[in-house]
Amino acid sequence: MLELRSLSVHYGAVAAIRDLSLSVDAGSIESIIGSNGAGKSTTLRAISGLVRPTAGEIWFDGGRIDHLESKAIVARGIAHVPEGRRVFPDLTVEENLLIGGYLRRDRVALRRDFDEICSEFPRLAERRRQMARTLSGGEQQMLAIGRAIMSAPRLILMDEPSMGLSPIMVSTMAQIIQRINRSGRTVLLVEQNANVALSICDRAAVLERGSLVLSGTGAELKDNEHVRIAYIGI
Amino acid sequence: MQILIDTLLNSAMASAATALVAIGLALVFGVMRVENFAHGELYMVGAYVTWYVSTDLQLTYFSALVCAVLFTALIGAVMEVALFRRLRSNPVGCLIVTIGVLLVLQTAAVWFAGINRTLLVESPFPGALRVSSFALPWHRLFVIVAAIVLMLALTWLLRRTMFGWAVRAMAQDREAASLQGISIGKISIAAMMLSAGLAGAAGGLMAPIVRISPFMGQPVIITAFIVIIMGGLGSVEGAIIASILYSTFFTFVSTYIDSTVAAIAGLCIMLAVLIFMPSGLMGRTEKV
Repeated sequence: MLELRSLSVHYGAVAAIRDLSLSVDAGSIESIIGSNGAGKSTTLRAISGLVRPTAGEIWFDGGRIDHLESKAIVARGIAHVPEGRRVFPDLTVEENLLIGGYLRRDRVALRRDFDEICSEFPRLAERRRQMARTLSGGEQQMLAIGRAIMSAPRLILMDEPSMGLSPIMVSTMAQIIQRINRSGRTVLLVEQNANVALSICDRAAVLERGSLVLSGTGAELKDNEHVRIAYIGI
Repeated sequence: MQILIDTLLNSAMASAATALVAIGLALVFGVMRVENFAHGELYMVGAYVTWYVSTDLQLTYFSALVCAVLFTALIGAVMEVALFRRLRSNPVGCLIVTIGVLLVLQTAAVWFAGINRTLLVESPFPGALRVSSFALPWHRLFVIVAAIVLMLALTWLLRRTMFGWAVRAMAQDREAASLQGISIGKISIAAMMLSAGLAGAAGGLMAPIVRISPFMGQPVIITAFIVIIMGGLGSVEGAIIASILYSTFFTFVSTYIDSTVAAIAGLCIMLAVLIFMPSGLMGRTEKV
């Protein structure tokens, strides 16, 4: 469904990712783990057109997307839940969700997805008239995910959804991600919290200093000694 | 008593005109982070277009007003596409080109209509409403009503429509906005057209009651900057409230004391707001 071919991204002279090849199968949860500055966020930012790759190609559903603008990439069915949630603080919860469907014209389908999100996240439904800035961190993360779902994506990119959340909220978030996946959406999950990411993903890749060093199923990587020492800490 | 009523009416009219200019300035700053120093000249162009269309072309005042809005909105769109778009990551560059546009528009007005002519625009509402011994000029009342209608329309647009949410989303987090598929370029053009069109409307509305000159935008833009700083940079509601407070204060002080004192006191109020409420009356950091 998504394929990165020898992708490189540079910030000035510094390479953030180097010669990265990765593919995500339709219907799966793929995760990328790695420490701070490994290039995880940059990979997602390149996919959604926020940064331009300096080399390599990105293919989505048989079309090349690495030269498209963010708008065209959203329209093709890729939603991005950015690092740090980035909800619009001075829009209400409802407005934040509706703006997720900015490019969609089918009012009926939009309404249906809106209602679905309200039943999936009752806490958002209760707070729909509140400004997003008044929500807790976990609620803001739900809102950011709900906003992404509103664009009717086939692939959702999630950047550190567990960041800054309480342990209970982290496991709630893991369940939410699995439910999103079961409802037919492919997920590419970037996490520093390797334990959670490897438990819920089908396949995972380990990124170190911008390069792919390991890949395999979640269970395989969980048993890998290097991963255990460097990322799980057992 | 007549003086008090007159001053109140003048305050209301000054508030209306200032607010129309200031909300456009606040909108563009909020959305694009550009301080448009040519905004006062868009007001001036609005007055000139109204004069030209209603006298030389002999159309009605209302057609002239519509032409003023369309023409200034067009200038706004051209400024975005030709200048700001190329300087997106260069705020100082944007500021400098707005000063360039300011000079170009002033010079164009001098070239177009000369500098020593008295340009008169006839109001479609001559005369005054007489209530016992008071006289309330109709056109002033019209300016107040028109400004209120325009501001309500803008507020509705920003608060109740998908377009308005997109504008506000872009002001709050540009990158997150583009991840929703919002086109930064399109919203910027729309914001510049709205902003410039409102300034043009203000110029056209005031044309029958102020002296039309190439430099009429200067005092207006200074007031508008004071007002948007007081209101909280980028906040449209803050700009409206601050316009009312500042213009009322200014009108009363200049009527009962002196206009120089009023100008000095106005700047002092702005300083006081900045010292005690550094982000303005309605200010958070980014808000439209």
